[in-house]
Amino acid sequence: MLHVKPEPTPLCEAALIERVKSGDQGAYTTLYELHIKRVYGLCLRLLADQAHAEDAAQEVFVQVWHKIALFDGRSQFSTWLYSVASNVAISYLRKQKNWLQKVVSIEHSGMDEQSANDCKGLNGLDKLIVRLPERARMVFVLFAIEGYRHEEIAEQLGMAVGSSKSQYHRARQLLQEWYENE
Amino acid sequence: MSKPNFNDYLNKSLNTLDKEITPQKDLWAGIERAIVNNKQNPNSTIIWPKLTAIAACTVAALIAVNIFVIAPEPQPVVAISDYFSAQKNSLLVEYENKEALTTNWQTQLQELEEAEQAIKQALENEPQNQALLTMLAQIYQQQLDLINKVHAPRWQHI
Repeated sequence: MLHVKPEPTPLCEAALIERVKSGDQGAYTTLYELHIKRVYGLCLRLLADQAHAEDAAQEVFVQVWHKIALFDGRSQFSTWLYSVASNVAISYLRKQKNWLQKVVSIEHSGMDEQSANDCKGLNGLDKLIVRLPERARMVFVLFAIEGYRHEEIAEQLGMAVGSSKSQYHRARQLLQEWYENE
Repeated sequence: MSKPNFNDYLNKSLNTLDKEITPQKDLWAGIERAIVNNKQNPNSTIIWPKLTAIAACTVAALIAVNIFVIAPEPQPVVAISDYFSAQKNSLLVEYENKEALTTNWQTQLQELEEAEQAIKQALENEPQNQALLTMLAQIYQQQLDLINKVHAPRWQHI
């Protein structure tokens, strides 16, 4: 069953944000409660690892607390927050794997399939998504789930637009293969 | 009943996908600790990501130098093992008198060490096997992460 949660009204959220900007931690707790599940969901799908997703989600809310004065209200708060979340998750992954990739190539090691075991509570398509190789997974999540354009994804991930499209194609192919062999 | 075709499955799954996932842990406590008594400042930056990045680059550089320069006839498993043994020992010494946040961390460490031994055995037959080298490196990283996490957790949510 699709879980439907009432969206916070913009007026109410705007007031909360103003209170947070003035240092009100109680208001920030409310903002956190409104958005944590969405932020964590994004981090978990991007990182395919429960512990890393927990760390990244925490880092998102610590960063947002410090940077909320930069939110000028021209976009929706949720749009701004989720873009912070995807940037944090992407840089988190880079930091985690930087040194490893200098020694060996993770992308071809087949280790990513293990990730499926590190993500509790995922079902259906999500279980397949976390098995995808890292770059294909990130592009798929950002494009197919989060609705970013390939141009935006390419910029976020530091790749060519064509690479983003080909990684998306690769992700779809793998998902289809796994789905049909299930 | 036959399976729906993949495109139908994918479209339906994406349309009904719940973007929200509930974390299995309470994450707020760690966030609160990190922001409490910490003044908001839009120009301030959090220093630990930079330190982590610098440390990661240093580790990578040291490994690369060790593997490709100092040891021109590379045995990657030896180079990686030596480096991480030194890292692990120095962490254990550093945290020797510090209380750990969990009581079973040594059991967890032991399990990781057993995995390490199994991979090393497999590498004796295939010393250049990249998948095995990756696994070994990941096991080492998990050991360092575990030691760090139980003694100096980043957000203290364990």
